[in-house]
Amino acid sequence: MYAIFKREFLSFFRSPVGYVAIAIFSFLSGFIFYSQFANGKVNIASEIISLRSFFVVIVPIITMGLFAEDKKRGTEVLYYTAPVNLFSVVAGKFLAACALFGVMFINVFIHMIVTALCGGVIGIGAWGSVIVFFFMAMMFIAIGLFASVITDSQIISAIFSFILILIIQLISTIATYIGSAFTATFSFFGINSEKAASIGDAVTSGINWLDPFAKTSDFRFGVFSVSALLYCLTVSLVFLYITFRILEKKRWSQG
Amino acid sequence: MIEINNLVKCYGNKKAVNGISFTVNDDEVLGFLGPNGAGKSTTMNIITGYLSSTSGTVKVNGHDILEEPELAKKDIGYLPELPPLYNDMVVLEYLDFICDLKGIKKSERKEHLARIVSMVKITSVADRLIGNLSKGYKQRVGIAQALVGNPSILILDEPTVGLDPNQIIEIRKLIKTLAKSHSVIISSHILSEIQEIADRVVIINNGKVAAVDTITDLSKRLSGSSRLLLSFKGPLKEVSEKIHGLPGVVDVRTRVSNGDIHELEVTLVTNSVTDLRAGIFFVMSKGGWPILELRSLDPSLEEVFLSITSAV
Repeated sequence: MYAIFKREFLSFFRSPVGYVAIAIFSFLSGFIFYSQFANGKVNIASEIISLRSFFVVIVPIITMGLFAEDKKRGTEVLYYTAPVNLFSVVAGKFLAACALFGVMFINVFIHMIVTALCGGVIGIGAWGSVIVFFFMAMMFIAIGLFASVITDSQIISAIFSFILILIIQLISTIATYIGSAFTATFSFFGINSEKAASIGDAVTSGINWLDPFAKTSDFRFGVFSVSALLYCLTVSLVFLYITFRILEKKRWSQG
Repeated sequence: MIEINNLVKCYGNKKAVNGISFTVNDDEVLGFLGPNGAGKSTTMNIITGYLSSTSGTVKVNGHDILEEPELAKKDIGYLPELPPLYNDMVVLEYLDFICDLKGIKKSERKEHLARIVSMVKITSVADRLIGNLSKGYKQRVGIAQALVGNPSILILDEPTVGLDPNQIIEIRKLIKTLAKSHSVIISSHILSEIQEIADRVVIINNGKVAAVDTITDLSKRLSGSSRLLLSFKGPLKEVSEKIHGLPGVVDVRTRVSNGDIHELEVTLVTNSVTDLRAGIFFVMSKGGWPILELRSLDPSLEEVFLSITSAV
């Protein structure tokens, strides 16, 4: 696993990918921090939360090539024919992408240091946001990895992970639409409007339950919830496992 | 030693490999011959554990590739048709990564890599980016990759495809050196190449073994029927008839006819012992028609297949 991790992590810096991701992140975080700083009201937690909405751009850039490139180059043969477990291949690539996020995040730590040096307060809410940031990053990277394993084209992989992450970021809006669609459908078929509305609400809150942003929204106020972190961790593991199974399936495929 | 027993691989309804069985003995070079799409690469991919078989077993030095994959894979070095190279890595760095993958101890690594690098003669490019190497060197790096971990068996899938003649000769030399201390399975659709390197040949067609033979036996089969190519200046019809009249000639076919220069393909009786070239010369000289070219035609791979499949 360490071999794969090392290769993938260093390969981010052999191609523009690593630099582009770091540049985008530095620019965005720097911009947000500067605008807060210029107003004299620095809030690290809200900086991190704003940065989260750019996962949808940064994660696909990082993950698009992880498996797609190997397939295209024919280097995936190495993983299948070397005496290594395929799950350690998935884990190595996953950790490499996470490590790149760690490198990008140095920006925010610098902002924290600057804030502290200028007499600002880094409250528990800021640290809570840092934790949430990394758990969510893990979740989205796992999704990106999954998008990369199903195709040998980096572009398709990037578009696919972009769409998946976008859906998750907009999940509360989508939930409302789907809920009201249910309400409308049921009232169309003559079910009384109160019942129809309650069905719609149930659907909405059911889908909303999946929203990782809502689950972790209290972290910024210093209210930590283990179940929210477990949720992110579970989603990550599920996608890593699916990725692993897709890799395995290739060997057994009869199609 | 590899034992392959009744290997089948289905893709949907199509059987890409259909009941292939053969063994590869220690320190033997086995040529794996077949037209494109015959199932060569699929079989090799199954032997190396890249793909699984639908049914049948592969045993590498007694270890089943599916039941004890890690033990079996340790004994195999594989060079696929497309060498698995990272163009963004330096040669030594890449080989170091392969050592990591194959679990070579750090303490032994330096010596091990130095030996491989000098064996495949890539010392001069060892600190260059793989993406900037020529195709021949890339192929060598691919072979070096297969040699990491001292596997006793090497599986090379069309190692000379796409190389220029000089590079082909170099790679063949290298394979011959490697064959002294390894069992080698080498696939190709070039007959002469296999003839030069291999001790034994497995010919497959349509996913089935068409023949397993030693090189000498194969050549005997091939020498059975022979053809001559005759290019001359003179009257086409008269010459054709005269040559057709010679003993041992089965068929005379016009290949090219351009003005008064003609090219004939003369098919001789199978197992003919008489050399017809002298006879043809006298016919031509008698008529005063100059011979521009007279040579025997090498049997093509297609003909080998025809002769082998019709004989079975």
